[in-house]
Amino acid sequence: MKRRAILAYLLDHPGVLQKVSMLIRKKMYNVDTLTVCKSRKPGISRMTITLREDDEARVSQVIHQLEKFTEVISAKELDTEHSYWREAAIIKIEIDSAQLEALRSEYKFEILDYKNHDTHIIQIAGSTRKIDAFVAQLGEEHIVEISRTGVAALEK
Amino acid sequence: MTGKERLLRALEKRGVRHIFGYTGGAIMPVFDCMDKLGIFKFVMSRHEQGATFMAQGVSRASLSTDDPQVGVCMATSGPGAMNLTTGIADAHMDSVPMLAITGQVATGVIATDAFQESDVVGVMMPICKQTYMPLEADEIEKTVHEAFYVATTGRPGPVLLDIPKDILNQQVSKDYKFSLENLRPNLPGFFYHPTPARAPVKKALELINRSERPVIFCGHGVISSNAGKLLQALAEKAKIPVAFTLHGLSAMPADHPLSLGMMGMHGTVEANRAISEADLLISFGMRFDDRVTGKLNEYAQKADVIHVEIDPSEIDKNVATTVAINADVYRTLHVLVGDPMLTAKPRRRWHARIDEFRQVMADDLRTEIKGGLGDEGKLLMKTIVSQLSDMTQGQDIIVPDVGQHQMMAARFYNYQTPNSWFASGGAGTMGASLPMAIGVKLVRPDERVWSISGDGGFQMNMQELGTIMEHKIDVKIMIFNNGYLGMVRQWQTLFFDGRYAGTPMLSPDYGQIASAYGIPYRKIQTLEQIAPAIKEAIDLKGAIILEFICDPSEIILPMIPAGGGFDDMIVKRPMPQKKGGKK
Ligand SMILES: Cc1ncc(C[n+]2csc(CCOP(=O)(O)OP(=O)(O)O)c2C)c(N)n1
Ligand SMILES: [Mg+2]
Repeated sequence: MKRRAILAYLLDHPGVLQKVSMLIRKKMYNVDTLTVCKSRKPGISRMTITLREDDEARVSQVIHQLEKFTEVISAKELDTEHSYWREAAIIKIEIDSAQLEALRSEYKFEILDYKNHDTHIIQIAGSTRKIDAFVAQLGEEHIVEISRTGVAALEK
Repeated sequence: MTGKERLLRALEKRGVRHIFGYTGGAIMPVFDCMDKLGIFKFVMSRHEQGATFMAQGVSRASLSTDDPQVGVCMATSGPGAMNLTTGIADAHMDSVPMLAITGQVATGVIATDAFQESDVVGVMMPICKQTYMPLEADEIEKTVHEAFYVATTGRPGPVLLDIPKDILNQQVSKDYKFSLENLRPNLPGFFYHPTPARAPVKKALELINRSERPVIFCGHGVISSNAGKLLQALAEKAKIPVAFTLHGLSAMPADHPLSLGMMGMHGTVEANRAISEADLLISFGMRFDDRVTGKLNEYAQKADVIHVEIDPSEIDKNVATTVAINADVYRTLHVLVGDPMLTAKPRRRWHARIDEFRQVMADDLRTEIKGGLGDEGKLLMKTIVSQLSDMTQGQDIIVPDVGQHQMMAARFYNYQTPNSWFASGGAGTMGASLPMAIGVKLVRPDERVWSISGDGGFQMNMQELGTIMEHKIDVKIMIFNNGYLGMVRQWQTLFFDGRYAGTPMLSPDYGQIASAYGIPYRKIQTLEQIAPAIKEAIDLKGAIILEFICDPSEIILPMIPAGGGFDDMIVKRPMPQKKGGKK
């Protein structure tokens, strides 16, 4: 299914996040990530939702339904052509240093911490695909714990 | 000055005169203050659900009067608030403005599972247009005004105010000032586009002028914006037939030559056939719900769709539009009717075709209504409604409950008075009628109000007879007693081989119930008794209960089975099915 990103600006009021998540549940949207942060304007938050949906009508329904909340100031879809979608991950991995260096030259991540000679905490940022590829190449057996931020998006 | 007083003063300022509700620990300071102020008529329901429907009755029935009001209901925390949910969800589905006010436990104990604490805002959020919990007395007045604005602006809906007890009792700050004139609610995300844009209106006019087989749809938005006269003018000017949604009924006289009656699952043959053959649907203030469209991928395949709707999220939700006009129905109709581009085409072939549709069931229905008795020799609901319609010349207000009798009341009463039909539609809440009729009567005191319930629905809220008794509310109560949950029985007859599981039902002796409440009562069992009983109710000043013994075998046709398309419409009664169930 096609990945979509929706950007919304909303009032930083109690309960807004609950409304959005209830909407997702009620309408059974296939949401992958949801991130919220402060915007440049005080009192207004910026939310990015990524979801999987082929049906254009359902995507515009998400947007209309979001805009229906009195707290949502605007919402729109960001298409892949004209926007950057990025996420970051912090991963605790168990791997020997040589292997780690080999991966680092390919993926350009930052090492935050050496726990001991073969446990490291690293930070990686990039497209979802890049992080997925990194995780796949690393192999599940090397991952102790992983924390991903979800997608942040910005128009070009 | 305390929070509760600011609350009540704000309600007063908004023109509220009736408050419906039930007291309890967390809300009693407000009741106490209300008693001292003496500015409201307090109507105690016998169950909080009753209060929600009374409040709905006020909102629905007063919107066409010179003094539109928003219904207000009040309840205590915990169980009191939870008892409001059904009526609030119902108002949400039917876009009825309403303000529900609940007391909450004091802020000091919130989130400790205090006595009678429930997360009211959490429960109400998905069934309200907006919810508020003011946490300072200074916020209350401003919040009430914002709540009224949100409830009534754009697509209307219910709003909840949950106020902790200590905040109700709190003094406002020393320098507290409030001026309604200077109030600008901070609602940057609240969009409201009442004025239609020019481009889609032009496109719509072109489509209307070009169409050979158009149908106008009259939805709830026509009623809510008081645009019945304008809709009729558009229909007459352009010679276009009009089909009604359940909530569009009574916007225009039901026997108008251009009226096709109700559309959808239990709509008329002429409305539904016209829709499936139409080349253009011009729909005003409606949401194409599944009871209207049937199977979506077969719906109105040949037609372009013009959709005039105040709520943008309804446009293209179920049916793809050719022209979308996101605006107020009244304003859009005003522009369309006044536009010199609008032409009158006789469309003789279309009207002749529609006349053919009108004939499909006409004879059967006439015979049935005339006969008046069903397979078991008991009364037919359609005959009772037709007689009521004749005897009142279609002038009265009808408040049905939910079930077969509701569909009969929708189909066979000849509505003449604008905004004279109030039903629970989107939610279809049994038990709505009796309390709703109370609210309706309070704001339309000079009109006759008929509450028509089935034996099932009547027993769901019959405790409100207490309210009728106490406040001497003059509603004429009809119980269509067929001994069954008739509408479900109808589905069992048609689709479950006549197995009547969970639908037969005993009723109490309604005569004794009536006399316990001091309300006159008549039981009507024969055709000859119908007219005198109705006449007695008409002549009587005050409430009366008329119990009609109805035939369980009666079904409401036509019917489009749930999930079926318009081609699946059942117009002929099927052969009797084998018997089952207890009765
Ligand atoms: C609160 C509620 N519960 C259940 C239903 C499902 N339901 C719809 S119509 C109906 C039967 C109504 O029976 P009655 O009130 O006797 O009216 P009749 O159809 O017999 O005229 C039922 C059970 C409902 N609409 N509302
Ligand atoms: Mg019944």
